[in-house]
Amino acid sequence: MDVANLASQLNVGVILPEGIVILTLLTVLIVDIIRGRAANAITPYIAIGGLSASLAALCLQWNIANPVSFLGSFNGDPLSVVFRAIVVLSAAFTILMSIRYVERSGTSLGEFITILLTATLGGMFLCGASELVMIFVALETLSISSYLLTGYMKRDSRSNEAALKYLLIGASSSALFLYGVSLLYGLSGGETQLGAIAANLTAGGQSLGLIMALVFVIAGVAFKISAVPFHQWTPDVYEGSPTPVVAFLSVGSKTAGFALAVRLLVVVFPLLADEWHFVFTVLAMLSMILGNMVALAQTSMKRLLAYSSIGQAGFVMIGLIAGTEVGYASMIFYLLVYLFMNLGGFACVILFSLRTGTDQISEYSGLYHKDPLITLCLSLCLLSLGGIPPLAGFFGKIYLFWAGWQAGLYPLVLVGLVTSVISIYYYIRVVKMMVVREPQEMSDAVKNYPKVSWDAPGLKPLQVGLVISVVATTLVGVASNPVFTLAIDSVENSPALSASLAKAKEKSAIAVLPKDSPSLEVTKVASAKL
Amino acid sequence: MLSALIWIPFIAALVIALLPQQREKQARTVAGVAAGLALALSIVVLAQFDISLAGFQFQETLSWIDNIGLSYNIGIDGISLPLVMLTTLLIVLVIYATGHDIERPRLYYAMIMMIAGGVTGVFLARDLLLFFLFYEVELIPLYLLIAIWGGKNRAYASTKFLIYTAVSGVLLLASILGIVGLSGSGSFTVDASIAQALSSAQQITLLLGLVVAFGIKIPMVPLHTWLPDAHTEASTPVSMLLAGILLKLGTYGLLRFGLGLLPDAWDVIAPGLAVVAVISTLYGSLNAIVQQDMKKLVAYSSIGHMGYIILGMAAATELSIIGTVAQMVSHGVISALLFLLVGFIYSRTGTRDMNVLRGFLNPERGFPLVGSLMILGVMASSGLPGMVGFVAEFCIFRGSFITFPLQTLLCIVGTGLTSVYFLLMVNRVFFGRLPEQFSNIPRVSFREQVPAAVLASLLVMFGLQPHWLLEWTEASAHAMAMLQVKALAEVQQPDESVAMVDNEAIASTVLTAPSIEAVN
Repeated sequence: MDVANLASQLNVGVILPEGIVILTLLTVLIVDIIRGRAANAITPYIAIGGLSASLAALCLQWNIANPVSFLGSFNGDPLSVVFRAIVVLSAAFTILMSIRYVERSGTSLGEFITILLTATLGGMFLCGASELVMIFVALETLSISSYLLTGYMKRDSRSNEAALKYLLIGASSSALFLYGVSLLYGLSGGETQLGAIAANLTAGGQSLGLIMALVFVIAGVAFKISAVPFHQWTPDVYEGSPTPVVAFLSVGSKTAGFALAVRLLVVVFPLLADEWHFVFTVLAMLSMILGNMVALAQTSMKRLLAYSSIGQAGFVMIGLIAGTEVGYASMIFYLLVYLFMNLGGFACVILFSLRTGTDQISEYSGLYHKDPLITLCLSLCLLSLGGIPPLAGFFGKIYLFWAGWQAGLYPLVLVGLVTSVISIYYYIRVVKMMVVREPQEMSDAVKNYPKVSWDAPGLKPLQVGLVISVVATTLVGVASNPVFTLAIDSVENSPALSASLAKAKEKSAIAVLPKDSPSLEVTKVASAKL
Repeated sequence: MLSALIWIPFIAALVIALLPQQREKQARTVAGVAAGLALALSIVVLAQFDISLAGFQFQETLSWIDNIGLSYNIGIDGISLPLVMLTTLLIVLVIYATGHDIERPRLYYAMIMMIAGGVTGVFLARDLLLFFLFYEVELIPLYLLIAIWGGKNRAYASTKFLIYTAVSGVLLLASILGIVGLSGSGSFTVDASIAQALSSAQQITLLLGLVVAFGIKIPMVPLHTWLPDAHTEASTPVSMLLAGILLKLGTYGLLRFGLGLLPDAWDVIAPGLAVVAVISTLYGSLNAIVQQDMKKLVAYSSIGHMGYIILGMAAATELSIIGTVAQMVSHGVISALLFLLVGFIYSRTGTRDMNVLRGFLNPERGFPLVGSLMILGVMASSGLPGMVGFVAEFCIFRGSFITFPLQTLLCIVGTGLTSVYFLLMVNRVFFGRLPEQFSNIPRVSFREQVPAAVLASLLVMFGLQPHWLLEWTEASAHAMAMLQVKALAEVQQPDESVAMVDNEAIASTVLTAPSIEAVN
């Protein structure tokens, strides 16, 4: 193997975006060490600059000729580009809103950003990984950094509790996942590349070992996207962790989880497609029902958003189960929309807790009279999460439900519709608390609300992040045609999915046929009469 | 031009929301100007409307989201035109009837303008998903209007309204997805041939979904319980809006998409609907008789009057469809007037209890003008000839009698009951001796009574000259009734050549119903 051949096999250029993130990470670390506390003024901007550059590199990599790199362990196809872009965006927004929060807590900002960038790196590699070892390493990079982030407020006992819970449950789920993956390795006769595994498994046919592998893999994936019944860690971890970390976990980490689900399940398990579709249908239904029902009873804003994120994951799964082009594309679109509305919501929650020091829903009472801007932004984001038109969340849901309906998933779509009514109720409860309450009904926190000012250091970036996400939440839905077309393109141009798409098409053709045939007969009868 | 009707209010809402704090008093001016502009524009549309055409006019089509087949497709026909006129007019009056000293004016007027735009959009939309979008847009503004500016028990009433309406929205969305998805059509544009791809069991299921979804909004009787609560707690202008326009979203939707899209299935469930109509009418009227609260009484009378509309739609003859549209307008005008007048009395006396109120027709210390207008409104509502209520109800009953004789007779009993409860109310509140405690109540100024005068004059004008109300709808109603006739003919005569002849025969029997001029 000569050098030129090796270079082309490695195809290092594909991971340029990740390379930029690594460089940024190192720069932040070094600047932080050299300049100490004074570095806080520049490190976040270095990080954001690096992430933007990485995003730009991702745009350039759209549809590159040869996306496979590192001897097939990393795939830079458009699908992974889209997912990586969402992860990078969520990291950038998280940094924007974390500056003030972390500084207030008296911990080092540079370390926080370094860990966050490491998590981003893990998420990005996970989105494109197409080889078992690579998948596991990326997954662990993401997970371990997430545990660290969760426990970042080390003087706060609840943050410690959250980190420990997350670590214990996360470690056991990783172990399960690893066991499932090792079964795959054995069953396929020692292959680690997803494509090769799929090919070898087809030869072997269905077996008990394959089903066990599927079960363990699903357990690992479901933990990452916090699908019921693998969700128990979510509320506690969300409540105890620093709020910006929760924002990242609920969007960035979940997006990576969905990318993993698409790649692993769709590529490796075509044999058991019906089985895993069924399991995911059950998971999605449970997530939508339980997430949205339990959210009704929450009194803490962070717990409310935790349960709502469980429910939202259920909606996104509809797209995965549909398994059609439109299904995957609507899933990507919803994740993008979810990024903006959820991070916008979290930005407001962070702002409110910075100004009042509380996350209780009852303390939001009467906020409209003191701070109309946050009230408006939070209301828009929550209503969008609830799917009220003409906000982006509504269009996202319409895409998902329509894709699910066309794929024949009627029960799932109906459950989705019903639970989205329930979700409207608890989102509105918060809006009502803020908007409807009279001045005399204000909570203590709002009564002592400080004068609104954006001058304190670190608040300006937060404001920028908030405004961008709220504007996107309002407009992306109405102008969703180009974005959705992009999502469809990414699915169409990704060869990894083509096999399953062809299968889904075949299925839908069979489903359509009997409907067409009577009309054919009718025309025949009509022509006979003529 | 139609787009402007929808977007002027939305833009006004945005402008109002962005007004600075010091200039929040100008919210009312902005809202008033925008509403006036929309009214003027709708009059221009009215003037250019060609009444001989049955189809949609002033159509505008823009592709919007091709991937799911959603297009921005609007147009106006004889069924939506009167409702659009009603909307633009009532919005102006609602803004006028709102007090100058209202709290949080920016939020209030922005919400009113959003409702105005949303409702106009509903009436103009020619795309199922676009219709749904506008239908859902008014949910949150109306919820806030009841929850912030309502009465004592507003939290309960507004939440109830929200839950009912959200359920209605989801059922509607499910039915829309069902209609388009099962028919295999790639686009949500309203297309009369869409039903052909559906089996009759599918059609009936989907239609039942639509009936329940719109039935909540109308409201039909087992689904009505949110309405009395919402009306009692809402402020006077919001009640006018709710009764005058928002209930019509349900009846309009059912007419347009129930009857218009699924005529075969409509034929199957029409007898059931007629029974529901009777129950709504009688239940609403009987409940109204025992009410002590004036506003609740008017609210229950609304439920009763919606029964006639359901009856007219169930019969689906040309005359009954014309009557249905006329009744929507007539109910919009009358109930807005009644709520406005009840509002005057409530704001002056602080009570709506009919056991306490007495003698307000007293020419010196009472409200003689309010009382006279109330008597006028009540007469119109109970369907006395010479008023708009008579015209509409007569068309409906005459048109439905052929199809549903018994149900029509029972609904006519409802009009009798209407006179009973309204006479009871007028007798208690306006006649008799004015009690001492009300002898020094503040007057209702002439300026405040302008909206009431406008509504009252409309109600008499259309009563004396019904053609001005009915002629717009005739062509479209004829087309819609023919749809139903065709569906009937197909069921009875599957052989096509005979069916063609039969169609004409059936159509002509339907058309022998006395034409509108006979009413004059």
